[in-house]
Amino acid sequence: MKTVINAVAAVLAVAVISFMLWRTPPPAWTDAEITVLRSLWLESLSALPAAPGNAVADSPAAALFGQKLFFDTRMSANGSISCATCHQPERRFTDGLQKGQAIGTSKRNTPSIVGTAHSPWLYWDGRRDSQWSQALSPLEDSSEHATDRTRVVRLIAQDENYRATYESLFGALPELAKADEPAVNTVFANVGKSIAAFERTIMPTTSRFDRFVAAVADGDVEAQALLFTDDEKWGLRIFIGAGNCTQCHNGPLFTNNEFHNTGVISFSGEVPDKGRVVGIKQLLTNEFNCLGQYSDDANQQCAELIFARTGVELIGAFRTPSLRNLEHTAPFMHKGQIATIAAVLRHYNEAPDAMIGHNEAQPLGLSARELRQLEAFLKTLAAPVARLPAMIGGD
Amino acid sequence: MHRVVLHCFIICLVSLIFLQTAQAHGGVVDEGDLCVIKVNYLRAHFKIYQPRVTGHEQFCEDLPVASESVFVMEYLHDSLSTMPIEFRIIRDVTGKGRFARLEDVENIDDIESATVFYQPPILEPDVYTVIHEFVEEGDFIGIVSARNLETGKVYAAVFPFEVGFTGWGYWPLFVGLLVLLQIQYLAMSGRLRRWFSKSSTTMAAVAICLLLLPPATFAADFVVTYSTPSGKPQINRMHSWILHIENESGAVVEGAIIDVTGGMPEHNHGLPTKPRITQELGGGDYKLEGMRFHMSGYWEIVVNITTETGKSTVIIALRI
Repeated sequence: MKTVINAVAAVLAVAVISFMLWRTPPPAWTDAEITVLRSLWLESLSALPAAPGNAVADSPAAALFGQKLFFDTRMSANGSISCATCHQPERRFTDGLQKGQAIGTSKRNTPSIVGTAHSPWLYWDGRRDSQWSQALSPLEDSSEHATDRTRVVRLIAQDENYRATYESLFGALPELAKADEPAVNTVFANVGKSIAAFERTIMPTTSRFDRFVAAVADGDVEAQALLFTDDEKWGLRIFIGAGNCTQCHNGPLFTNNEFHNTGVISFSGEVPDKGRVVGIKQLLTNEFNCLGQYSDDANQQCAELIFARTGVELIGAFRTPSLRNLEHTAPFMHKGQIATIAAVLRHYNEAPDAMIGHNEAQPLGLSARELRQLEAFLKTLAAPVARLPAMIGGD
Repeated sequence: MHRVVLHCFIICLVSLIFLQTAQAHGGVVDEGDLCVIKVNYLRAHFKIYQPRVTGHEQFCEDLPVASESVFVMEYLHDSLSTMPIEFRIIRDVTGKGRFARLEDVENIDDIESATVFYQPPILEPDVYTVIHEFVEEGDFIGIVSARNLETGKVYAAVFPFEVGFTGWGYWPLFVGLLVLLQIQYLAMSGRLRRWFSKSSTTMAAVAICLLLLPPATFAADFVVTYSTPSGKPQINRMHSWILHIENESGAVVEGAIIDVTGGMPEHNHGLPTKPRITQELGGGDYKLEGMRFHMSGYWEIVVNITTETGKSTVIIALRI
């Protein structure tokens, strides 16, 4: 009988100790960790970087014009597609699909616009180097808007309001019949610059994570406990530690805006996407790049473009996306290959060999529980999208 | 004693089969963890995926099932990035199976009718990829040809492969043969039953077998120096090294087996190529070809040296 009691007691003791360990709250943040947390804090986001290539980047009138253009379905071959068809504001400017669906099916997953004013590169492969030049490409992409620059210029000329707004911003429209190629291109570029002036104002807002960091910065333990569960705290600790996540997802927008091969599997029926290695070549020959004649950057500083990396290490590399609002921007990866956050985390935990190029990530060896905690943390990055206060007057 | 020696023979044979990894035929060679296609003197890392069925698993030639298959060639020779590459897959109509060679393919009268996939010549500067969905299992031959735009010369490689490959190869045959040999021996000696009670026999066999295996190597000190005939290594530039090896007493080391790996410890990745010794130049010099650094920073080149007298690893640290 005594043995039985002893056995039961032992089992109970083990159970209680395991439970206590299971429920262990994470230890207090070290100074080094607090430094990392502050670096991820939205409060640490620098002021909007200048856009020397776009003279109207900070003009509220241009932004308002750009906003109208952004939602205007007339800028498409069949009159049914606007920028907002894929970049839906209510979905954090994405579309919830593997690949964008417009006139046809786009080649890749629709990336969010939020915070892209801070990125030197646009698109998954960085084949454009400014928001304004990016805004032009979908208009002429046969599977997206499928229109062309001449028709876009004609629309601006024929719509009375557009014409008046355009001319107040950029001067007289050229006569279409007499307009040569550079003249058409200039108007087309100005359309992109207006759209960019609108997009530039689209920024993330304070998430629960940011409020948590504020509480950490204040040393307010009570607020920390109210804002984050233990699992979320553990998840954050993994995010800035054993998960190696901040190697690429760093800074207040949780992205280094650089290109990395992380061994994501090819999309069904397609060869593996070559990514940045091709994107950089397209950028270097694009007439609307920073060094091109339609850029307003008179000094043509364009350091990003001039010192851009090229070469084999960019095979299969794609731009690091922001993790803010992650749970509202599924499916994930450049072709929407991975449906859920949990599956993305499993992918990084395994870090399989890349089909082309090499996977820069290393297997993490995290437990199922740690992956769940990491996921719990990532969901604290959700927050509504806002436009900068400067724009409110423009509306 | 006879019996012990036979046991030993069998165990050694089995372990040989287990250890055997390299196999070569056609234009594709399985070099352990790296599968290489040789288009004449041009080499490329070659791999096939069936992403819908086996995810990231790589295949060198034979494929498990008829499914979407992605063929990837990562150039180990820069010339390939400037040559239009043509890719064709035909049903094996040569009757030669996995011994089919380029001549056999060239002798096919109507290659078009045997073709199941054809990718016309295309210039792929970075990495070559094609996709084909196999609709039926069977024997196929892949034909890769690359044309030198300057000389007009065409280089070709063929690689026979099987779709619906069982993964067994010649194994069942070998294993069956060995089992038969063993049973026959035991039956003939009339000591089948006694054998079970005398495990000591097997132990003795293992012991002798271990003695018969190559002698265990011990660590030896080597001094490795290197030079780069084409000047300071440039990033993203394929180039050669000359390794010079001396032992601890300063005598040159000849006839060594040298294996070279390396990478960037700070970035947790290896060399973008798999360099190897292509020539022993004499006087302790070895030509190391296929060196390329694809990132600037701190690199370590790991030189594993095996000689009759010893084995050692030397790490060369350099900053690119």
